[in-house]
Amino acid sequence: MSMSERKTIDLDQGWDFMQKGILKLKNILEGLPEPQFSSEDYMMLYTTIYNMCTQKPPHDYSQQLYDKYRESFEEYIVSTVLPSLREKHDEFMLRELVKRWANHKIMVRWLSRFFHYLDRYFIARRSLPPLNEVGLTCFRDLVYKELNGKVRDAVISLIDQEREGEQIDRALLKNVLDIFVEIGMGQMDHYENDFEAAMLKDTSAYYSRKASNWILEDSCPDYMLKAEECLKREKDRVAHYLHSSSEPKLLEKVQHELLSVYANQLLEKEHSGCHALLRDDKVEDLSRMFRLFSKIPRGLDPVSSIFKQHVTAEGMALVKLAEDAVSTKKAEKKDIVGLQEQVFVRKVIELHDKYLAYVNDCFQNHTLFHKALKEAFEIFCNKGVAGSSSAELLATFCDNILKKGGSEKLSDEAIEETLEKVVKLLAYISDKDLFAEFYRKKLARRLLFDKSANDDHERSILTKLKQQCGGQFTSKMEGMVTDLTLAKENQTSFEEYLSNNPNADPGIDLTVTVLTTGFWPSYKSFDLNLPAEMVRCVEVFKEFYQTKTKHRKLTWIYSLGTCNISGKFDPKTVELIVTTYQASALLLFNSSDRLSYSEIMSQLNLSDDDVIRLLHSLSCAKYKILNKEPSTKTISSTDYFEFNSKFTDKMRRIKIPLPPVDEKKKVIEDVDKDRRYAIDASIVRIMKSRKVLNYQQLVMECVEQLGRMFKPDVKAIKKRIEDLISRDYLERDKDNANLFRYLA
Amino acid sequence: MHKLGRGHRDKLQQFITITGASEKLALQALKASDWHLEGAFDFFYSQPQLKTFTDSRHLEELYNRYKDAYVDMILADGITLLCNDIQVDPQDIVMLVLSWHMKAGTMCEFSKKEFIEGLQSLGIDSLEKFREKIPYMRSELKDEQKFREIYNFAFGWAKEKGQKSLALDTAIGMWQLLFAEKQWPLVDHWCQFLQARHNKAISRDTWSQLLEFAKTVGSNLSDYDAEGAWPYLIDEFVEYLNENGIIQNDLINDSSLKR
Repeated sequence: MSMSERKTIDLDQGWDFMQKGILKLKNILEGLPEPQFSSEDYMMLYTTIYNMCTQKPPHDYSQQLYDKYRESFEEYIVSTVLPSLREKHDEFMLRELVKRWANHKIMVRWLSRFFHYLDRYFIARRSLPPLNEVGLTCFRDLVYKELNGKVRDAVISLIDQEREGEQIDRALLKNVLDIFVEIGMGQMDHYENDFEAAMLKDTSAYYSRKASNWILEDSCPDYMLKAEECLKREKDRVAHYLHSSSEPKLLEKVQHELLSVYANQLLEKEHSGCHALLRDDKVEDLSRMFRLFSKIPRGLDPVSSIFKQHVTAEGMALVKLAEDAVSTKKAEKKDIVGLQEQVFVRKVIELHDKYLAYVNDCFQNHTLFHKALKEAFEIFCNKGVAGSSSAELLATFCDNILKKGGSEKLSDEAIEETLEKVVKLLAYISDKDLFAEFYRKKLARRLLFDKSANDDHERSILTKLKQQCGGQFTSKMEGMVTDLTLAKENQTSFEEYLSNNPNADPGIDLTVTVLTTGFWPSYKSFDLNLPAEMVRCVEVFKEFYQTKTKHRKLTWIYSLGTCNISGKFDPKTVELIVTTYQASALLLFNSSDRLSYSEIMSQLNLSDDDVIRLLHSLSCAKYKILNKEPSTKTISSTDYFEFNSKFTDKMRRIKIPLPPVDEKKKVIEDVDKDRRYAIDASIVRIMKSRKVLNYQQLVMECVEQLGRMFKPDVKAIKKRIEDLISRDYLERDKDNANLFRYLA
Repeated sequence: MHKLGRGHRDKLQQFITITGASEKLALQALKASDWHLEGAFDFFYSQPQLKTFTDSRHLEELYNRYKDAYVDMILADGITLLCNDIQVDPQDIVMLVLSWHMKAGTMCEFSKKEFIEGLQSLGIDSLEKFREKIPYMRSELKDEQKFREIYNFAFGWAKEKGQKSLALDTAIGMWQLLFAEKQWPLVDHWCQFLQARHNKAISRDTWSQLLEFAKTVGSNLSDYDAEGAWPYLIDEFVEYLNENGIIQNDLINDSSLKR
């Protein structure tokens, strides 16, 4: 019975016992010779607390023990920890602090075990801070709050030393900064407010000083290398000892001081800035520039702006070079017509390849640089060279590639690739409708005069154009190509018709190409007086065509025709390849030895211009099939002509070229006329839906609607508006002259 | 009459001279506007015209006096005779005002309907009354709203039948006639510009907008809106003025003009 009775422990007695245990712990922490706690020691200490907390009141000492738990820490800190820290400075202080914090955590852990019973019942019941928290709070309130400023400064000082290339104890800093985090007990406020803010400020100051020197001393590439290296190192710093949450803030500070503050000075450095790097094709440096400036707000704006300026200048240089070359060649008269313009297009393609690669690689496909490239090319690609618009130059370039005997010998793959690039350039041309018209004109010539080298390429480029500019853009051209296919089938049918109808006999070989009006460029259609031999041909074909389609009307365009004629000259017979006009003129001499200019003109029923051009080609050019009296170099209306029976040539077959008419003016006029229709249609469409609209808005919507094909001149729109007012489609509002009304 | 003070009598006389109104109407207008001339004009012109009784028989006689021998219309010869009778030069702008009252479709022609209804609206059925009315019609050009109506009427009246535009020479003549009444400082430059740069017919839109331009844009063009909806030709004119440094000269002329 006496064994079951527990002796009551009074406070002083029990606490004396605990004091011994705590002293033992302190000695261990201080590194003094002290044996480790045995399990027996531990159990006795734990049991003592247990007993003192479970005795009947007034001997329940829970509250007193709870208070003494805290006092234990406070006493230890004040008597031992703080003195050891106060006597030390800088790195030594940091080391001591780390040790003290580690020790403190050990102490908290052990005492929490001894006093564990309090956590389970007393603290839980009273909703008091747990033992662990009390312990940590003591350190925070007594040590951290006194020393955190000095600690922060010491840490920042070490960081700056590391920035200067010195070796520092990174693990130490890691441990110190962990204290800031752990002191927060799950919150980052202590880390952020007591350390990070000052660290960021110091970082700004540090890099501001560095940048102000580097910007003066270094070239742009060297500066950027340093900037990139600094950013990398700061990122390393975070990885090694700063908290990860600091990374974006830290990098932002560095980027601001090194890049944002000096962006313009850096980019515009005279011999090494962005312009120079572009000029010298410093791809690696430009890539670095992109990577760096893409990190700062609006940092890419000046880079893309300079890029645009540079590309524009390069393009304008090409324009000027081509202009000068054309002038020089023109003066020397040594050049193939249009060769320099073709070289220009080739160089523009190369320029585009080069800078598109820059956008895709150095500038990582960023939209700002695509936009800059586009705007740059739009500037110089719409300049034109030597009186030819870019639209015309591109069309001519395509023609040169696609026609037989073009000036360049390219593989099929190279042709496809080049055409692809030309179509890409077309996106930059404002006057796409002008390109379409020139292209159509040249396509017509390739198709009708059998000059096209490859059908597949013809269809291929139309596919590309269709993808880029829409079906409406290419529908006429596709119609043209289709017409040629149909024409071949038609010719086959015609030949069958001839063989099945002995009465249908043209008398000579006849090939006819039927063209659909509207697909093809408009051609002059004269009432040429055909020779009897040809009239017969026309009649036979008409009869054939009527068997296929009863309601279509054929219009003959003799200016597009070619003939093969056997010329029986005294020395020998020569086969002449001539136009229908030339053939008609020559056949007049089968029945007349000598004809005057006016006789030829009236018999052929052609205009002066045509007759002059025609007769010049037969009597004043390389092949003088006709003799002219007087024997001058130009045709006049008082001239006489005779068949030159003495003509001969070493070749048995010759082509007599008719000088080409300059079609540029005609094409431009046609396009202008089409534009007027397009503007009218657009205005009517807009006003029909709006009914009432003010002038500025009408102009704006009109430009917007038509911008895909050409850039309407505001003056042109204004003229069309006035014309529509005259034609009673629109009227001005009675009270507001800026307001237009649609008239139904 | 002797009841009126000298100032009032002077104003009454001035009003009658300008408007051709009767003394009774003039007194009424001046009293209504508290003897302010400008107000009196506004009052007078804003009043609906009381239609005076006109004798149809007399109108018929007048018409027959001037009508063409072969066509039931008054043509150039008839108009010349009419001008003789009322003592007005055929080139006088008051003939334009008369044509406006008659709603004449074409210059140098009055249909019977136009002539008779026009004279009725003016309360004229005799040559005497016709002569009395001339000052009134002349004074209508002073009224801004009526001037605008007459100006815009002139376009249709002066252009060739079946045409949409007004021949340039005719337009220039009309502008010189009309702006003699309105004192637009740039009218001579405008006519020179048209002959030098345009040399084509004038559209109705350009015609009517020019009056707005003359009214709303100062002669130094400082308030001209190049982005506005002015007709193309007016934009060109402004460019022409700037190119030739005419604005500077007109700035000087403008300040010296007596308004």
